[in-house]
Amino acid sequence: MADLFTSALSGMNAAQLGVATTQHNIANASTPGFTRQQILVSSRAGQQTGAGFVGQGVDVTGVIRIYDQFLNTQVLQEQNQASYLTAYHSAIAQVDLLIADPDAGAAPAMQSFFDAMNAVATSPTSTTARAALLSSAQIAIDRFQAIDQSLTDMADGLTGQITGSVNTVNSYAQQIAVLNGSIKRAIASGQGQQPNDLIDQRDQAISQLNQEVKTTVLRQADGTASVFIGNGQALVLDEQAMRLQVVQSANDPSKVDIAYLNNGRTIVLQQSSLQGGKMGAYLTFRDQTLEPARNALGRVALGMAVSINQQNQLGQEPPPTGALGGNLFNEAVPRVDQNANNNPASGKPSVTIANLAGLTTSDYRLTFNGAGYTLLRLSDNTTTSYASLPQTVDGMTITAPAPVTAGDSFLIRPTANGARDIALVTNDPNKIAAAAPIRTATVVNTGTGTISSGTVNAPPPTNANLQETVSITFNNPPTTFNVSGAGTGNPINVPYTSGQNITYNGWTVQITGTRAVNDQFTIESNVGGTDGRNALLLAGLQTQTLMANGTASLQGVYGQLVGEVAVKTNELAVTSLAQDNMVAQTVAAQQAVSGVNLDEEAANLIRYQNAYQAAAKAMQIAQAMFDAVLAINP
Amino acid sequence: MRISSNTIFDSNVAALNQQQTRLLQTQQQIASGRRLLTASDDPVAATRALEINQADATNAQYASNRDSARNTLTTAESTLQAVTSLIQDAHDAAMAAGGSLTSSGRKIIATDLTARLQELVGLANSTDGLGNYLFAGFQSRTKPFVDTAAGVDFLGDDGQHLVQVAANRQMATTDSGADIFMRIKNGNGTFATQATATNTGTGVISQGTVTNPALLTGNNYSIAFTSATTYNVTNTTIPVVVSVGNPYVSGQAISFDGMQIDIKGAPANGDTFTIAPSTNESLFTTISDLIDALNAPAVGANLANSASRGLNNLNNALNNVVNTRATLGLRLNELDALQVAGENMGLQFKQTLSKLQDTDYNKAISDLTQQNMSLQAAQKSFVKVTDISLFNYI
Repeated sequence: MADLFTSALSGMNAAQLGVATTQHNIANASTPGFTRQQILVSSRAGQQTGAGFVGQGVDVTGVIRIYDQFLNTQVLQEQNQASYLTAYHSAIAQVDLLIADPDAGAAPAMQSFFDAMNAVATSPTSTTARAALLSSAQIAIDRFQAIDQSLTDMADGLTGQITGSVNTVNSYAQQIAVLNGSIKRAIASGQGQQPNDLIDQRDQAISQLNQEVKTTVLRQADGTASVFIGNGQALVLDEQAMRLQVVQSANDPSKVDIAYLNNGRTIVLQQSSLQGGKMGAYLTFRDQTLEPARNALGRVALGMAVSINQQNQLGQEPPPTGALGGNLFNEAVPRVDQNANNNPASGKPSVTIANLAGLTTSDYRLTFNGAGYTLLRLSDNTTTSYASLPQTVDGMTITAPAPVTAGDSFLIRPTANGARDIALVTNDPNKIAAAAPIRTATVVNTGTGTISSGTVNAPPPTNANLQETVSITFNNPPTTFNVSGAGTGNPINVPYTSGQNITYNGWTVQITGTRAVNDQFTIESNVGGTDGRNALLLAGLQTQTLMANGTASLQGVYGQLVGEVAVKTNELAVTSLAQDNMVAQTVAAQQAVSGVNLDEEAANLIRYQNAYQAAAKAMQIAQAMFDAVLAINP
Repeated sequence: MRISSNTIFDSNVAALNQQQTRLLQTQQQIASGRRLLTASDDPVAATRALEINQADATNAQYASNRDSARNTLTTAESTLQAVTSLIQDAHDAAMAAGGSLTSSGRKIIATDLTARLQELVGLANSTDGLGNYLFAGFQSRTKPFVDTAAGVDFLGDDGQHLVQVAANRQMATTDSGADIFMRIKNGNGTFATQATATNTGTGVISQGTVTNPALLTGNNYSIAFTSATTYNVTNTTIPVVVSVGNPYVSGQAISFDGMQIDIKGAPANGDTFTIAPSTNESLFTTISDLIDALNAPAVGANLANSASRGLNNLNNALNNVVNTRATLGLRLNELDALQVAGENMGLQFKQTLSKLQDTDYNKAISDLTQQNMSLQAAQKSFVKVTDISLFNYI
């Protein structure tokens, strides 16, 4: 009879545990990382009787998590990628908005500058047109500097975000290490029973960690999880958490690197090993979008400053000075940084801009191995070796550092400060050299030959004898001419065919038409000249393909920058949306296994309630039976 | 399949978010009128729009350059029109002077011409309204024509101011004052004849013509009358006598070395006429010579010779000015053609730009309605789905 009570009691106990577990599930239905739990029940072994094995009730053998390792790993991977793409996209979208805005971008400012230049070419004597040109130059400069400042602010902000990300990683690593200890001890004391909720918490911490940086997780037999980042650097081992640290980059003092602390040693992690997650996104955005964008902007600004300066030097300022033109803009100097590990006594290489066409948007690393120099172009990892410097490469001339020690390395950023350092060097509208410094004249001639108005040969500086008066006199027969004038060497009997270039003293003219004997042409200083010939050439720089090896104009390379950022932003918008959907799907699949369904729990509640009531009824019947026995009056 | 209750909420919230994002994007497109809110919305269209914006702005700048060029050319044209009628008036005066006029009649014409000469200097020093001299070449701030004791002097240069009037066209908006007013060949363009001032006869020499360019020598000649009926021709450059004792008949052609001239009237013994290669003579000199001749006492055929010479040179000057005006007219015509082409191009740029970056309102509003409807549907169904629960029944 007693076994009836025991059996009924076991049923009630099992139902009670069932209700408790169901209630736990309902209570945690929306807890992040919670995995639904179920009781494991098994029937007790029957008692052998003459009539066979009689069942003795039910045992609850454990409470388990409904969990699929494969689906969970997949969710981790997809979430890591999604957090990388989302962070990258929201960062690059700011750059996209900044540089392509039809009102705030640099393109309309450059356009107004060249429009104003065209107006000066049309009315070179108009002080208003000249003042308007200076003001539109200042607006273009302000625009370049404002965009550059925004990009720099973003880079500074990124340093903060990277530091925050590193702190988050350290904090989760610490949590995981602590949870590892709790889980290990719980399993030991629970005789193999799993501490489900602790494991859920640890999985949740790993999932959060994984959104910061890509990790690899190995589960050990004792229930602990080992977490690795990068190229197998252990972040959490058993109950021990390692630390990451933000350190100033040895190559570039304006940047930070992420280092791994191990037994007091600091190991700088390669950026390539920190893929995925927010940390990967910040580093990739900084190194592959922000810096190239700043370099590209700098290249446009530098291109404008250098090309306008050079052409202005070939012109002549208006009277009363009538001087040869000078620089209008300040040109940025390439930035050179010494590696922090260089010999402190070593010098820095000096780098100057040699030509605009060759300039790229890349940065370079120059290293000295004791015998020669190696230049690494960072954008495509192309190396070039030189036995000695100076060398001109990619539009810049590099002069050897002195002294230099084997193993020294230098970071060269030719255009990085181009947009930051562009400035007007004059406020005087008369410094715009709109006129050409020479003019030509036909003396009393009998032939019909005409002489072109003459051009000044690029590049500056101009020839010292540029403005000396030179006469060209045709001989008999008029197929050769004599030249006289300072600086020409007074050559005689120079053969000439119509339209051919005549070049002396840094100018070039052509004579066309029929020349007669003794016809004389002169080239002289354009004293008092107020023409707009040089301004026309200045305005023409807008459409000249000065940049990118002569394939693109100034606005063309700016357009390339806008296009590259826009394409990348668009790509990230599309892929991050797709990735979000991917995450939603894998999470749905994982939740289909591990998530709580409230209807199911409601049904379970009823089920266990019924079971409890039935078991209690059985207990009541056993009681009645017992009472019936007691009621027998012998 | 088993569905987690959380998934129902999560996926619905995500779907609502996405729909709201799309709705906001469409709404912004409608509100701003721009299809491309950022370059990344359509990178190809955005970079293309940058290029077209640049081309459009440049095109607009060329239009304003053309206005400026037209202004300068029109001013030059009206100035030269005034110069033309001034030359014609001077021409009429010279014609009258050649006739029989009293000394006082000549003086009146001379006074009139003196005033016209001052007017001509004023016209030649015209500005474009911004203080730039039209005919000063590159030295547009230097007054180009200055009246000196030795006549009117030119201080400018031959520079032509160029204006970018179209992408591949630079147009000269000014012409050299030297070419218009100073460098006018006298005589017939090849040689010029002149009666010596001390002649006493009434012989008037014609301007002559070139009969055989191959025989021209470019030398100076003199025709000296040895009597009223005979003359000698001498090449005074070499010098060599060309012919001696030629019989003179009034108005009969005198030909030598590829040139042909005639002398009318009755030259006296000792009268000489000279022939020299044409040189440049300024319009100012021509008129002031004429004034001098009118002011001088009438001796022999001096006045008739001066008037004939002046008339000829005035004709040359007139041709010169008319030629310049013709090129001005051609340039103004070209400007009109370029203006039409530029306007068409601007229209095309605007259309392309609009297609690239402007909102298509029909499509956008239809999209908005559709997105609005599906968002409402999603919201309603979300409420319905989440409203049903087994807990409602226990």
